[in-house]
Amino acid sequence: MRQAGAYSGLLCGGVSGRTGPHSLPLARIKKIMKNSGEDVKMISGEAPIIFSKACELFIEELTRRSWIMAIQGKRRTLHKEDLASAVIATDIFDFLITLVSSSESHAVGGATNVMEVETIDCS
Amino acid sequence: MAGVREQDQYMPIANVIRIMRRILPAHAKISDDAKETIQECVSEYISFITAEANERCQREQRKTVTAEDVLWAMEKLGFDNYAHPLSLYLHRYRKTEGEPASARRASASASPSMQMHPRTHPHSHPPNYSHHGFGMFDFDPSSQGFYRDDASSSGSGGFVASFDPYANIKRDPL
Repeated sequence: MRQAGAYSGLLCGGVSGRTGPHSLPLARIKKIMKNSGEDVKMISGEAPIIFSKACELFIEELTRRSWIMAIQGKRRTLHKEDLASAVIATDIFDFLITLVSSSESHAVGGATNVMEVETIDCS
Repeated sequence: MAGVREQDQYMPIANVIRIMRRILPAHAKISDDAKETIQECVSEYISFITAEANERCQREQRKTVTAEDVLWAMEKLGFDNYAHPLSLYLHRYRKTEGEPASARRASASASPSMQMHPRTHPHSHPPNYSHHGFGMFDFDPSSQGFYRDDASSSGSGGFVASFDPYANIKRDPL
């Protein structure tokens, strides 16, 4: 423990100890991966590690594009509508269009998202 | 079911906001609906990529979704500008993970000097900071600059290994 503590203190300043060097919890990522489909069986230990960094890049890109929408509207508060505008304007975020345009999340919305993903795959 | 949000299906909001703050100016505010929406977007992103990666596994009659499958799925689904820095990230992780425990400290001490050689910093930084700087410069071209922001503000989180979480992962296969 002392050795680990020394490492985290020396090399990982500013990052929460509970997530180690990753800014997003790996167990949570793994659970979401498992729930992406009933046929997801085994997940290698490295896949959530890749996702923890990938999600940072994703959050940063989505935030940057949303902020551009907010400042175009002369606002300094990021709203859901800014996220929706950024998603609509960005091709690689097409899979999120149903999610950001629905008024609330619920089971039916989830099903629709799955259908949307399938539609994207076919195109 | 309406209005019920299972928190274990989303990334913790504090972590998400911290990442967003790296990008936003200090005076920016984030509304509650934006916070919830981006949590949902992140989970959808993980599910979207994982489903594609898993499809490839099934076609190849494999049962374990690997990091390579995830990277392949990202490229296929248009996130190719993420796949390259993530490949380097994975390579670095494996190099660190593969070293025996007794060599970790030696490796950590050797690492700054090794990383100092390929790049020259425009500003002086403490030795610990060169770790971030290397990542910053190395990834800049492929990610068109935004990864640089990430490296400079969270390099320690992204590039430095803390070994306990990996051990936990290894000990708990699905």
